[in-house]
Amino acid sequence: MARVYNWQIGREMSYWYPESRPKRQFAAVFDTNKCIACQTCTLACKTTWTSGKGQEYMLWNNVETKPYGSYPLAWDLELLEVLNGGRWNGRTYEGETIFESAPAGARVLSWRPAAEDYAYPNVGEDDCAGQVDGGAGFSLPHMAWFYYLARICNHCTYPACLASCPRGSIYKRPEDGIVLVDQGRCRGYQECVKGCPYKKVYFNPMTGTSEKCIACFPKVETGLQPQCFVNCIGKIRMAGYISRPEAARPDNPIDYLVHVRKVALPLYPQFGLEPNVYYIPPVHVPPAFLRQMFGPGVDDAIETYRNAPNDPDLAGLLALFGSSESVMMRWARRGDEIVGADDRGTPLVRVLMREPVHVRPAFDRLYQITRTNCP
Amino acid sequence: MQRVIGAVLVLGITAGASCQRAATVTPEVVAVRAAAVPEDPGDRAWQSVPEHVARLLVQDVVEPRLLQPSTPEVRVRAITDGSLIAFRLEWADAELNDRPGPGRFADGCAVQLPQKSAAPAPDPQMGQAGHGVQIAFWRADWQASVDGRGDSITDLYPNASIDHYPFDAPSLERGSETQTKMARRFAPADALGNRRGGLRSSAVEDLIAEGPGTLGPAPASVSRGRGVRTPTGWLVVIVRPVPDGLSPTSRTQVAFAVWEGSAEEAGSRKMRSGWAGLAMRGPS
Ligand code: SF4
Ligand code: SF4
Repeated sequence: MARVYNWQIGREMSYWYPESRPKRQFAAVFDTNKCIACQTCTLACKTTWTSGKGQEYMLWNNVETKPYGSYPLAWDLELLEVLNGGRWNGRTYEGETIFESAPAGARVLSWRPAAEDYAYPNVGEDDCAGQVDGGAGFSLPHMAWFYYLARICNHCTYPACLASCPRGSIYKRPEDGIVLVDQGRCRGYQECVKGCPYKKVYFNPMTGTSEKCIACFPKVETGLQPQCFVNCIGKIRMAGYISRPEAARPDNPIDYLVHVRKVALPLYPQFGLEPNVYYIPPVHVPPAFLRQMFGPGVDDAIETYRNAPNDPDLAGLLALFGSSESVMMRWARRGDEIVGADDRGTPLVRVLMREPVHVRPAFDRLYQITRTNCP
Repeated sequence: MQRVIGAVLVLGITAGASCQRAATVTPEVVAVRAAAVPEDPGDRAWQSVPEHVARLLVQDVVEPRLLQPSTPEVRVRAITDGSLIAFRLEWADAELNDRPGPGRFADGCAVQLPQKSAAPAPDPQMGQAGHGVQIAFWRADWQASVDGRGDSITDLYPNASIDHYPFDAPSLERGSETQTKMARRFAPADALGNRRGGLRSSAVEDLIAEGPGTLGPAPASVSRGRGVRTPTGWLVVIVRPVPDGLSPTSRTQVAFAVWEGSAEEAGSRKMRSGWAGLAMRGPS
């Protein structure tokens, strides 16, 4: 194993291959506070990529209700149990990652879902943690809560799927860090299915190979965001590219949210993969639960996010989510207007921080007619 | 239907009988010369052929390794007509595994030969750079397809229910170019010619390797084969051209591997043998 640096756990760690970061890294920010579990993203992906024979059960994008939802069944609990906890000392993880705790004969610590574990994509949907007793009122964080966790492949910096494949059939593209299974080379050993802690590689019994989220690379290559991003009803998603922390650019939307404001956090950073989908944690959930899922930055992230109404830059950037099909490489705020731009700075979209209010009186003087509202 | 059951029974009895018949056990694989090579694992010709018992070891050289031993041995017989050689592999396996799926693995076996017979023999674990091996690989799920299993999801999961596939839309003429193209779009491995599943005409595939992790398709498909279930396991015949270096006066090496589906064995998680001698005997 090689020694590599993982900034999400604040230290060096062991990985199967030496550190080799792509020219730029595809990344995303999901705001969990805005997701309504409409599953439009799931369907957008399904109709685009996984409508074939053998792909019936595959959800490259899925949305699960936490704390009880999971797809495949208990994907996170199963691993947390075998990983046997782990301590954070400030922003440094002192426990073992899945690479460091790999058992004899394996490259990563992992577990293998059974076919049945894929049979309940809606398990735990809208089930909340705890009961609401008579006379109870809500305060923050809620004493009874749930939230929606939308999940795609994290196009990890240190992918466990890639490390697990004995044939080198999985590769990370040097140009954008997107992780792909070479469908011409895969022999269907399912090592990656077992190895990915997020369980985002799926075995196709009809083609006999493993398949996974491709970050809609044909779209990304032309500067467009993936299907699950642009179809998102809740406008919770933004795709872009993330820099290393020391090279963060405040005018890069992803860098700003992750590195500058630290409001978006990786999913289970303690696993050690440096995943590249970052989540703004839900504000109403007990932080102890969130710390296990998103690491020690949760409390600061929630405080920053809750202060967004007094924070025009942050509120402004959040308003850019879901405003354009194009990937916004840069952004800027000019007063009440937020501009999303390409990498040459050419504006792609302008959004107002607050939508203008138009009052339409019931009686239209011009046409001398009374308006009615149609349902 | 009755006839099918009858046929299966007869085959079972024949196979069982062949297992019980004590064969001469040889320290190396001896291919006996005959007028024709039998492709049927139950063919009577197999009864009079000596048997080599190849002890299997866990593959514990490269990750991912197999830590728990499963299949202890494979019993091998061989017949040649001078241009083709048939190997019959027999091993015990209590559970039939021939349905692919997430978390499901198929039973399988392989015969490995040096690419060139010249000494020294390549590394028995998939060969090495410059000293390649050729492999004929048989898999139980491919056999099930050859034996008539369909390629719908309900053939694998009988209770699955499917609303619709876009390429099954009534507006698309079945078998038309547009329809085929659309189905292909959702089967990327097929589109690249990497046929690991679906309908197959052969249960055997030819491969070459120059070390672990380098396995790839052989330049030409030269092997064929057939596997049948016995009451206690598998009987598989693999027929291929006589390898370079094997003649009535010269010998080469051969190695074997078995994958036990119920133990989640696939790829390098397998039971394998070292090299055994391979000789030819009988009238030339
Ligand atoms: S999330 Fe899983 S499938 Fe995606 S890159 Fe990371 S390890 Fe691989
Ligand atoms: S489309 Fe957006 S809002 Fe709807 S479930 Fe997906 S992520 Fe949540």
